[in-house]
Amino acid sequence: MSRIADWFQERLPVSGVQLAELTNEPVPNHLRRWWWCLGGTPAYLFVVQIVTGILLAFYYQAAPETAYQSVQRITEEISFGWYLRSVHKWAATLMIAAIILHQMRVYFTAAYRKPREINWMVGMCLLLTTLVIGFTGYSLVFEQLSYWGATVAANICDTVPYVGVYAKQLLLAGETYNENTVSRFYILHAAVLPATLIMLLVIHIGILRLQGVTELHFEDEPEDGPQHFDFFPDHLYTEVIAGLVLMILLSVLATLFPATMGPQADPLTTPEIIKPEWFFYATFRWLKLFSGTVAVLSMGFIVFIMFVWPFIDAWLVRVTRNEDVSFWIGIVGVFLLVGLTTWEALVAH
Amino acid sequence: MLEADLLEADMEREADNVVHEAKPADSSGMTERRRTFLERWPSALMGFGLVAGYGMFASFIGQFLFPSRKKQHASQYVADLQSFAHGQSMTYVSPAGERVVVTRVAETGAVEDFIALSSVCPHLGCQVHWESQNNRFFCPCHNGAFDPEGNPIAGPPQEANQALPRYQLHVENGLLFIDASTERLVKLA
Repeated sequence: MSRIADWFQERLPVSGVQLAELTNEPVPNHLRRWWWCLGGTPAYLFVVQIVTGILLAFYYQAAPETAYQSVQRITEEISFGWYLRSVHKWAATLMIAAIILHQMRVYFTAAYRKPREINWMVGMCLLLTTLVIGFTGYSLVFEQLSYWGATVAANICDTVPYVGVYAKQLLLAGETYNENTVSRFYILHAAVLPATLIMLLVIHIGILRLQGVTELHFEDEPEDGPQHFDFFPDHLYTEVIAGLVLMILLSVLATLFPATMGPQADPLTTPEIIKPEWFFYATFRWLKLFSGTVAVLSMGFIVFIMFVWPFIDAWLVRVTRNEDVSFWIGIVGVFLLVGLTTWEALVAH
Repeated sequence: MLEADLLEADMEREADNVVHEAKPADSSGMTERRRTFLERWPSALMGFGLVAGYGMFASFIGQFLFPSRKKQHASQYVADLQSFAHGQSMTYVSPAGERVVVTRVAETGAVEDFIALSSVCPHLGCQVHWESQNNRFFCPCHNGAFDPEGNPIAGPPQEANQALPRYQLHVENGLLFIDASTERLVKLA
């Protein structure tokens, strides 16, 4: 056995002890709380998405003539196709939910403050990339709602002055939805955007490891006890448990509420009741409240404000001499988000 | 073209190296000015070569990703003027499958008698439909509404004052023609 180990040691001169020391960073005690698993959760779900996504790609055919039928075949004929497709759909849902919760946790604990402004912005990029992956993936099913969702989204791009028309053409491969659009969504969904996400994730975690996790202390913690615990194996075990719980949750959701199929896309009829995926409910309601350009530009402005919030927060704290201004603005923001989402969920139009 | 540029860049890099190797030969009388000149030009040329080479590559990618294709339009028969009474309206379906509502609003016999409304909502491109109980066109996507002449009366289109687009019509020998798209964009199985 040691001869085999020696054989590898000679060819791969990596010391296991050094590697363990390098990766075993001390973790602050507050990470024992489950709320602090929310950053690892989307990362775990992303791995689930890669595995199930690769499997679905074995049967999916990205062309308007075949897309819907191939999804139908995956769902109805291929062994466990329904299960993998449902897990893929639910993991996407949970991934977006976990990212939103993770972002709220970071926001309300003000973990984005100096020196972590850059990682907050990388996190914003991760959020937006994930939303676009969700949107392009949903469009691949080529059912009525996903077709019209894609049309609306492309025309949203179009309302942006100057650059919008090019963004729309880049997305649709032409002026309107055409025979090349689905394959374009597919390559974005399955290659370009996941690769982008992986790069951003490496930067996100890299910066986190460089700076260390934000230190937080709770009142119920003993002052004189150890303030840290080991990443390996303690924190890894926490993540493994979280992963197992997620796998069970995904299987239960996939079995009880499997991914279904609406009617096939019809470019000539917009369905009477049209809704995007739940994570776009708030933006969809926003679009109904204002004219096209006003709604789109104001949404872009809100995203920009979110991007640079660490700097706005620093300015607010300086001007008002109150540490908690951002907290209360955040509460208002969350109410607005939940309010608009609920409003859209409850009404037909 | 690209390869030629890269080759050129390679050659320039070699030339650059030669200059660096020649450095110890300073003492042989090469002036300071001449040396800077010789060091800078190859770098500038190499930079130019790289920008030109990869720039052209990028422009090819750009053109590849933005296919330029003109929509094919043609003039097509809709109805003859005699059988199209004032106040009447009909739905014309183009070869591409676009639904166009054509209405006669006057009786002069000229093309101005008719309006041809597209069913594509000017807000974000959904299909509107006629609601006879409300006497309006309605877009289910974002609650836009239009009167029978296509003017916006509710929702985002009203706020932005976007009317339903109109098709070009013309009259020839007492027959009404429309200028509409002939190719079906998304083929379905």
